[in-house]
Amino acid sequence: MSSLYRNSLALLLAVAALSACEREERQSRGKPLGETVPASVSPDTIFPQTGKLPPLHPRAAAYERNASAIAEGQRLYSWMNCAGCHSHGGGGMGVALMDGKWRYGGRIDQIVASIAEGRPNGMPAWRDRLTEQQMWQIAAYVRTLSGQAPKDAVSARTDEMSGTPPATQTRREPTRPADSDQQ
Amino acid sequence: MNRRIAAVAIAGALLASCNGVQNVMGGDGAESANFIRLFTLFMVLCTIMYLIVVAALLAALWRRRRSGLTVDDRRHHQISPIVRPALIAWTALVVTGLTVLTVASFFIDRSNAATASKPAIHMTVTANQWWWDVEYNLPDVSKTLRTANEIHLPVNVPVHVTLKSNDVIHSFWIPNLAGKQDLIPGRLTDVLLLARKTGLYRGQCAEFCGVQHAQMALDVTVESKRDFERWYSAQLATAKPPATPLQRAGYRYFTTRECAACHNISGTPASGQVAPDLTHLASRRSIAAGALPMNKGNLYGWVADPQSQKPGNHMPTVGLEPNELHGLIAYLETLK
Amino acid sequence: MRRTTLILAAVAAVIVIAVVLGLTFLDRKTDEAATRQLNEPAALKAIPARAASPADDGNWTMPSKDYASTRFSGLNQINPSNVGKLQVAFTFSTGTTEGFEAPPLVVDNTMYVVAPWPNNVFALDLTKPGAPPKWMYEPKPAAAAKGVACCGPVNRGAFYSDGRLFMNLLDGHTVAIDVASGKEVWRTKLGDIQKGETMTMAPLVADGKVLVGNSGGEMGVRGWLAALDAGSGKLAWKAYSTGPDRDALIGPDYRAPYPQDQGRELGVSSWGPEQWKIGGGTVWGWLSYDPELKLIYYGTSNPGPWNAEQRPGDNKWTAGVFARDVATGHARWYYQSTPHDLFDHDDINETILVDLPTRDGKRFPAMLRPSRNGYFYVQDRRNGRILSADPYAHVNAYGGVDLKSGRLIPVAEKEPKEGRVVRDICPGPPGAKDWNPSAFSPVTGLLYIPHLNICMDMGVKNANYIPGTPFVGADVKMYAGPGGNRGVFTAWDPIARRKVFEIKEDLPLWSPALATAGGLVFYGTMDGWFKAIDANSGKLLWQFKTGSGIIGQPISYRGPDKRQYIAVPSGVGGWAGAIVSADLDPRDPTAALGFVNATKDLKQRTTKGGTVYVFALPQ
Repeated sequence: MSSLYRNSLALLLAVAALSACEREERQSRGKPLGETVPASVSPDTIFPQTGKLPPLHPRAAAYERNASAIAEGQRLYSWMNCAGCHSHGGGGMGVALMDGKWRYGGRIDQIVASIAEGRPNGMPAWRDRLTEQQMWQIAAYVRTLSGQAPKDAVSARTDEMSGTPPATQTRREPTRPADSDQQ
Repeated sequence: MNRRIAAVAIAGALLASCNGVQNVMGGDGAESANFIRLFTLFMVLCTIMYLIVVAALLAALWRRRRSGLTVDDRRHHQISPIVRPALIAWTALVVTGLTVLTVASFFIDRSNAATASKPAIHMTVTANQWWWDVEYNLPDVSKTLRTANEIHLPVNVPVHVTLKSNDVIHSFWIPNLAGKQDLIPGRLTDVLLLARKTGLYRGQCAEFCGVQHAQMALDVTVESKRDFERWYSAQLATAKPPATPLQRAGYRYFTTRECAACHNISGTPASGQVAPDLTHLASRRSIAAGALPMNKGNLYGWVADPQSQKPGNHMPTVGLEPNELHGLIAYLETLK
Repeated sequence: MRRTTLILAAVAAVIVIAVVLGLTFLDRKTDEAATRQLNEPAALKAIPARAASPADDGNWTMPSKDYASTRFSGLNQINPSNVGKLQVAFTFSTGTTEGFEAPPLVVDNTMYVVAPWPNNVFALDLTKPGAPPKWMYEPKPAAAAKGVACCGPVNRGAFYSDGRLFMNLLDGHTVAIDVASGKEVWRTKLGDIQKGETMTMAPLVADGKVLVGNSGGEMGVRGWLAALDAGSGKLAWKAYSTGPDRDALIGPDYRAPYPQDQGRELGVSSWGPEQWKIGGGTVWGWLSYDPELKLIYYGTSNPGPWNAEQRPGDNKWTAGVFARDVATGHARWYYQSTPHDLFDHDDINETILVDLPTRDGKRFPAMLRPSRNGYFYVQDRRNGRILSADPYAHVNAYGGVDLKSGRLIPVAEKEPKEGRVVRDICPGPPGAKDWNPSAFSPVTGLLYIPHLNICMDMGVKNANYIPGTPFVGADVKMYAGPGGNRGVFTAWDPIARRKVFEIKEDLPLWSPALATAGGLVFYGTMDGWFKAIDANSGKLLWQFKTGSGIIGQPISYRGPDKRQYIAVPSGVGGWAGAIVSADLDPRDPTAALGFVNATKDLKQRTTKGGTVYVFALPQ
């Protein structure tokens, strides 16, 4: 084989090999027969007998590090007026979401439960107003406000004037309920 | 034999693209008619020049064969007496041709600008991923009409359309009526539509804007002034309340569940502003921004699972129960 | 010889000039609060409307002191010569730590303290040492109401009338409390928190009616003013701020001072279709009352959403001032200060009813309004005609008020547009002055205005309407205006139409003012300093550091021992203090609708609180 031919073949094989690399899976409608949302995952820290928080909901992995879910969550955060109460993470009528204080827990399934059920001091209950998939997407985005998501999955900029540092540079805040101020 | 069949096939294909609804050569609007005039002039003139050039090339080849001259021939050949006048004629032709084209272009531009300076109706079209938010802005603001994915225009009336975008760059293109104009977030652009022939047309987004760019179309209806006014007043009316129990169930679902968070139906508590206005959904020719023709089956399919029809678009698959779906469709069909 | 004389003369002249100039500047040296004496007050003085401002009986029965909203105490025991000795007489902790805005009321030797959410009311017995509580009223409003209260779960006060206290609860109820027992007499539900409605304003009771309005201009709420019968709590009339004339109670008696506010169904035709239903115009601020004309004066809030591109038209009857007949609620006149509001410039600020002296010795019935849009309006309170409208703060968002047409002149390049950020808009959303009311002293004829010097950057976007959630569509970042000070205390002469003195404050001023006949003016700062200044010069005479920032109204009353007391609530919060009271994150400049950027340092300067401080001279 001539050298040119050999090089071309090598290049072709390399491209074919790389194309087999895994890209993230984008699910446009969640699980085919309906997404599920966890019933409240306790933000408490005392669990008699087990002493451990319940395990992370199985659907969390599909949303936590998924760039398209985070991007959809960013859009819904603005559309559903989350930004109206929580601003770009700093809070207002609602609590700040970019700090490490989570009264009801900062794990993604705990955030989804808060969105679905609402919370006593004025967080509205969104179950039946948003689909389960949308709630997971919003929760995935909310996690990026405190730097929880990997930096290659987050969106580098907001779609509007914000003034906060971009999500690719946000420091990771703690999310253990033990770090929240319980009142 | 094969070559002739191929020629006929190509001709047929080309002619098929001249199908009425979405046709660049339609010429149904003032701007597109102007465009066709200019286009035809350019084609004719350039074809003539092309043929002259080809003829001159053939003549040169023919003459060369006849005279037997070669490149190596050291004899000075006689310059044909025809060359000088031919060159002069050719230069004159080119200059004339270019002047004609420039002047024609100038006058066509002026014609377009003249109609653009006296609009009778103002509209605002806001492009979203992947649907069109259409608003008619009258001097009386309480008669503002908001609809989605369709435009009605009165014939022979200049309509000024302000173009905005809520997310990325789109492009507004109704080939039969006018050229493309981008909708750029953070900017205002505009286009003037002056429809000359009544009929049904189709517009489309002409700038890649995301995964469903291909299914972001627009239904355009050009009608007489009286028909337009009748349509406009009908559209200003708020939605009729539901009559049958099934429609009432659908209304209840729509206004208390997911739908009202995004959609608006005037006259009901549903006032969402981020999705197409559905107040007169049933009067439209298509749904999902031209992706599906309007009929019961498509409506069912779309509401039940929008992600199967237009994967990636922003309307979620809700996972409706069959009864909820029946109620919703029954109610939506009353929104004429 | 002649040359030498000339040189000596020139040198002497230079020295004289230098000395004179030096003395002038020396004379203008100010104290640490940077008071600037600007002008002399005019010789003629305005006086409060007579019927609306009876003589001081030593009590403080309503937040505004009287129907004319003077917030002026006729007591003069404490004056500039002895205020330096003012000391704490007693304190009372409410046990709550939300923004504390309501003034304590004092009636017949009992002090009534009205706390923010959960809206508890305490009756303190002033006859006993330490003012122990007599009773405590716990209405238990819904906690979820806190989630739809835009600017803190505050309460701006109760109103005492005829043995009862009338107040609003955050979750949309109005209550009447019997002051002898502390028991609730009636509770009427008027607002629905599901739609984002709350109630935070202080009622005004007049003509046997309890006048109350709703809050929620940022939540897509339709605004209204309601009158309840004081005895039973039943609804007597309700006047909406948007929509058809029959809802807004615009009838045949209605006469607007300017043509743009006169017409039929303007509450519908100045909006896009159906927009008035979620259009705002809430009534969360101050009411005044003229018992002679029998008219209620009040302003309406901003239209919703903040993104004005979504609501073409003038958007009546928002951001304007109404005069309504107290018995029927029918509008006598209306003036729209800010048509098609672009910047959240509500018009709910206080209206002070004064009579202006005229050249032929008569009295002209007027009203003073230091409005949110930056202009100080002096209007005829019979018909709303503007006598003058002068900027009392730095304004670049408007080109002035055209007195002929009565219309605010817009500035095109400051208009927010979707997808863009417009910068350096002054005044910002809280305006040149927000809800915190000014005080008028008939002794000096000046209005003492605690207010703001805040500008903003604003980006608007399409707002979505979901009931019970914000309907705003704007990202805002606020910061100090020219000069770098965020607050300013101005003494304004309404007849001469100019500032007499001004005091620059570092932090925004969010507390109301109190003026006394002793020649003092009191106000508080957001980091907790309670200050007494001289009413004529503005010189700081006394200050005391309370436990938390002050955003509440100071009052003055005569105690059972016939001595004069000054009381002030201390507990930071409200919109300006949200970063502390709600523990917001200063890294997001758009938090709290942009205010966090302007109060980024507040957490280092004060903490939450909820205590009433009462001061007196030493025995």
